[in-house]
Amino acid sequence: MESTVRTFAIPNELCRRAGIAATWHSINNLGIFPSQSVNPSIPDRPSPYGPSEASVFNVRQDILLFEPILRKLVNESNGIFLNLQILTSGNVANLKQELLKVSHQYRSVIRACLENLQDEVARVDEHTSENMKNYITIFYSIECIWHLCEILFIENIPGSIVLPHLLEWVRFHFPKYERQATIYLNSDIDNIELDPDYWKTVIGCLLQGRVEVVRALLTLHSSANSPVFKLFDQTLKSMPIYNVYSGTSVTEFNLRWKHWLVDTQSKIDAKSFVSESHLNLMMKLAVGEELAWNQVQAQCEAWYELLASWLFFTEPTVKTFELGQFARRCIGRMGVRDHLRHLDQILLAALEADIFQVIKEIQHMSENGWFVSHLTDLLFHAGVLDTLDGTNEDLVAGRLRESFLIDYGVLMSSHHSLWQLGLSYLDHCPSDGLHVIQLLLQKLPLGTEVRVQKIVREALKRDLHPVAQSVCKVQGINCLRRGKMGNALSWALKSQDGYFTSYLADRFLRKYTTEGKLLCPDLLENLGSAMLSCDRLTFLSKYFEFHKVYALKDFKEAANIIISLMSSKLTPKYFWITLLTDALPLLESDEIVFSSNDTFMLLHCLEEKSKLPELQDKISLIRIAAARNLARALTTEAQAA
Amino acid sequence: MSHSVNTTFISDKTSKIRWKTDPFNDSNVFITGSWDDENNNLKLWEFQENKDDTDTYPFILKSCAFQGDVTELQFVDLDSFVVSSSYGSVYLMRITSNEKELIDIEACINWNKIHNFSENEVAPCTSLSCYKNDIVTCGEDGRINLLTSQHQNIVYSNNNADSCCINCVTFLKFNEVLTGNNRGLLKIWDFRQNQSSLCNSFILGQDQIAVTCVAVHPSQQHILVTGDEEGSITVWDLRKNTFPVNLLTVHTESISEIMFHPDHPDHLFSCSTAGEIWHWLSSSPATNTHTKLLNLQETDHNPWYISDNVKNKLEVFNLMPKLHFPINSLDLSRDRVLCGCDNEAIYLISNVNIN
Amino acid sequence: MFEAEEINAEHKDLIHDVAYDFYGQRMATCSSDQYVKVWDQNHEGRWILTSSWKAHSGSVWKVTWAHPEFGQVLATCSFDRTAAVWEEIVGETPGPGERGSRHWVRRTNLVDSRTSVTDVKFGPKTQGLQLATCSIDGIIRIYEAPDVMNLSQWTLQHEVQCKLSCSCLSWNPSLSKSLPQMLAVGSDDSNPANGGKVFIFEYSENIRRWTKIETINTITDAVHDISFSPNLGRSFHLLAVATKDVRIISLTPIHDQASIQSGLTKLSVQTAAQFEDHASTVWRVCWNITGTILASSGDDGCVRMFKMNYINTWKPIAVLKGDGSNLSNENQKSMASSTGAPVSQTARYYKLGTISSSREVPWH
Repeated sequence: MESTVRTFAIPNELCRRAGIAATWHSINNLGIFPSQSVNPSIPDRPSPYGPSEASVFNVRQDILLFEPILRKLVNESNGIFLNLQILTSGNVANLKQELLKVSHQYRSVIRACLENLQDEVARVDEHTSENMKNYITIFYSIECIWHLCEILFIENIPGSIVLPHLLEWVRFHFPKYERQATIYLNSDIDNIELDPDYWKTVIGCLLQGRVEVVRALLTLHSSANSPVFKLFDQTLKSMPIYNVYSGTSVTEFNLRWKHWLVDTQSKIDAKSFVSESHLNLMMKLAVGEELAWNQVQAQCEAWYELLASWLFFTEPTVKTFELGQFARRCIGRMGVRDHLRHLDQILLAALEADIFQVIKEIQHMSENGWFVSHLTDLLFHAGVLDTLDGTNEDLVAGRLRESFLIDYGVLMSSHHSLWQLGLSYLDHCPSDGLHVIQLLLQKLPLGTEVRVQKIVREALKRDLHPVAQSVCKVQGINCLRRGKMGNALSWALKSQDGYFTSYLADRFLRKYTTEGKLLCPDLLENLGSAMLSCDRLTFLSKYFEFHKVYALKDFKEAANIIISLMSSKLTPKYFWITLLTDALPLLESDEIVFSSNDTFMLLHCLEEKSKLPELQDKISLIRIAAARNLARALTTEAQAA
Repeated sequence: MSHSVNTTFISDKTSKIRWKTDPFNDSNVFITGSWDDENNNLKLWEFQENKDDTDTYPFILKSCAFQGDVTELQFVDLDSFVVSSSYGSVYLMRITSNEKELIDIEACINWNKIHNFSENEVAPCTSLSCYKNDIVTCGEDGRINLLTSQHQNIVYSNNNADSCCINCVTFLKFNEVLTGNNRGLLKIWDFRQNQSSLCNSFILGQDQIAVTCVAVHPSQQHILVTGDEEGSITVWDLRKNTFPVNLLTVHTESISEIMFHPDHPDHLFSCSTAGEIWHWLSSSPATNTHTKLLNLQETDHNPWYISDNVKNKLEVFNLMPKLHFPINSLDLSRDRVLCGCDNEAIYLISNVNIN
Repeated sequence: MFEAEEINAEHKDLIHDVAYDFYGQRMATCSSDQYVKVWDQNHEGRWILTSSWKAHSGSVWKVTWAHPEFGQVLATCSFDRTAAVWEEIVGETPGPGERGSRHWVRRTNLVDSRTSVTDVKFGPKTQGLQLATCSIDGIIRIYEAPDVMNLSQWTLQHEVQCKLSCSCLSWNPSLSKSLPQMLAVGSDDSNPANGGKVFIFEYSENIRRWTKIETINTITDAVHDISFSPNLGRSFHLLAVATKDVRIISLTPIHDQASIQSGLTKLSVQTAAQFEDHASTVWRVCWNITGTILASSGDDGCVRMFKMNYINTWKPIAVLKGDGSNLSNENQKSMASSTGAPVSQTARYYKLGTISSSREVPWH
């Protein structure tokens, strides 16, 4: 069954008349705007629709799971999912048993969710409670389907004798008879059979194979001690019920059961129960008489309720793979073949072991893929999907699982807060997961530094270094735009982008030449090994050091730094004037700080740069100072020798 | 170690979780602050005993919307707390209950946008610390603000305290504050006469690793521990200039919060973005058994000064199995630890071995 | 299935293009009023107009954002035969005639074309900052900013002749730095006799030129829009084409003797999907972030979405259409406010109703 493609309305007159266009943005959003095709070779004129108000519509999927009450389900099931992946990645003894536990966990989370929803319904206003009730119906069905799939595909049923599990499933989902029975049993009413629901309850319990309860209810009847009641009780008590742990083999059981059938049939034929019509009916049900069954099937709310009941009395040792045909028969009996709801179709497909169909149908159940991705993943690990693989080359099962997980992971990542959760699903998609993570991580909007650090961490954890570097660079650019040079440099270093770092270091130097101030001294002082990341930064760092030692009056060291800077070839063109001007007071200081070699070097640089226009005023000054220093230095050195 | 773990999914990523202060040190009420959502909130919770279950589950007493991410939260007295936001604002709030026993959280003082990059752009306030009536805040703008819970005005603001983003701040003494930044630079500031001056600065290591959190020893304020983005915990003695006394590398990722137990300072707790929560227990090297309290005279035998060759005197317990997502915050009350995580759940760990 | 919020675009007529920045937090719109408007989301999530300026002296056809690594940069192309690059400057108040709190300056005006410039797109960031334009005169121009920190300098690196009038172009984002760059160009020439209307060009490092490596001859109707799908590490490339119908073409590089000798990639071309759902001319195609959903717009006034499933087949999944129906009946507040946590803003999103009641089988 294909779901037909739905058309959604953009409530806007201009959009209706002119048509619309779309642009994707963020992870899962569409921008829709009124637009038409244009002919770019003619000048555009106002359209026949103008002037009118144009609006852009920000469209996104309406995700049920993002409601706070359902978000708990999302988070909890994510934990179960991740633990499951860890479990199956190693060698596990008793894999099936472990998977069964996981399945129980998922179902318990769904049930917890249902309870929460039911609590909420009582508390909220009418409109919201309508929505809640819808969700309850949806999740109720999900649990029902999941439970059945667990029984049919995951549970390790000895001998494939599935009926006891099937009965348990039905009892869980149609509890009204048991509830009513409990009320009766706890009450103290005489002539309880006069209660209009009494016999219905008794028969209902019988249909669910609750033999003990039926017997207990019958003891409440005023005629409980009459011979016919006693006979009935005895007969019912002696009905063999298959128990895999009793040690009886299937053949043995069938033998005994057939005996009992023959026995009971003869009692019925002998009209032993005729005096009590209800007992007679129930006995006939127990032997599988068609007419009797036709009579009571209306008491079953659904065909699968009927299925379990009917099998209990007619095919107690039915095997899992035989269920499909019986299911169809029950559907036929109840005349609902043409009125199958979506839920019915899924359950039928499951009973017919058509897993592919089950998955296909579940996909159409809701638009958020929570159910289909988690269940498919579980079934995949249980090895149940392997039948889908035609030849080994196709690996359809793996691709199917992965496509659901990717869709779900991307969907979750589109939520402001759940991106980490979304990524965790993608981690377990071996073919495309990493690529999608790469695309997604980059698209996550940056924000506080805490968030950016977390995003970078996620990239590094997965060895996505280019992504991490790109994010650091963008954050650096953002800091630059805010005028936070220190932050910007810090991020530039993290991004390992030499060009960017160099540009920033350059900005620092230029700022110094125009304003005479070195920015971010605390940062420059503690660059550490980072200062080697690019030439400009090394220069900046050394120049800062120069200022530092100068301020501490260690002029000899200051002079050393200046000389090393000059000879290093790292000096930017525009900075020579500053450097040479800085040398001036040192040349003229009382203490000789420049050796003769140093001074020669300085003079050499000066000559090289003599053409620089900004140097012209100062050049003679520096030459003279250098010459004087040279003289002094040579003299001192000669004396020392 | 028979502690028990109680999980509650709350549909919020918790950035800060704090026990409400209780006069008998037996609080059942706590606050969570959320982050990274379209609409964030502060929620006040109470643990209520469920007669049917042995488990206790928390119930929401009050929830209120919050502008921006909650970046830090600290109680200043029984009912009031200070909370900071990623939109640059800090609030003093009070928990009240009226005649009908309805709980409310009201804002007493709003310090709006005290952290900002420019007139038009706010900057996240990353952390705050309280000492009696004084509050100091720090932010991504490299600014520190000194506030007081007595009035609205900012007492003092240094907008150039750091060239980089300041990640954490704490009071050392009534007039001394320590900040740690993104490049591992720790600075100590002296606030006197409403001025601030830099007393000291020292760096975490050679590799410019960010300091992410800091905690001061409850009884000996010269002992400091810092956590960093690589997962190491460093112990400092502020009397010994600049060199750390101990370095413990245990967490695999950035440490989000670190805390001494207020009543039993031999116990240290830390949590990380790798989803780990650890309980550090130090024993005195002299007696080789667990000691309860520090002997203040023997400060040199402070168990946290454990040199390399007696490192095995330090015991570390993993309080619960590693989570798949970051644990952002923890808080302590007697033998119970609360933690808040990015998997949108909070955990109560009870019967922690404090003795 | 869908919910929407409405933003009043303040253009008084149809909008030619809407482009979102890399993170989807800023929006640029352009229209025949020759203005470009830039919108930002504030802290409450509301879209506010932060800039509006007259960008060209003719209709602005397209607007596009550069990667945020280059700062806040836009490019526009217009009927006035020029393309322009704009950068946002912080901290300055807007000039006369401009509205908003931020200021965009024109960094460069690319005036090389002699005819209306029909498309402009930034290249993948791994290759530095490049820009490609195409015009009605059939010339594709590739510009580059040699210094990415200084956007006033752009050089025209290449001019590529395409015999027919060009309407659209698309860079292939899929390629890593080591593989040659690839461009797809579409022509809106409507004469089938002039051959295929989609051309694939490749840049060869050896000869330092762009060369045409493929013409897709199965598409002979006018092409209005073209778009490469995002890279998912596949061995083939997917190209969406808006022509008389929606086409998805797969291009698979073939490694054989010929291609090794020539140094140019050889492609095997196949039609992966073809959709006639619009039953009219399709004039716009756009991929989602993972390249799994394609959105197309056509003369039937609809936007149609197609999705790829796990066995690589494509199917339509939804349709959006303008409907002038009354808004107040359709309004449904989102559920977020029901759990007791008061929301800081009123829910702005409302559910979209469906138009045609399709034959759906109810499942509950």
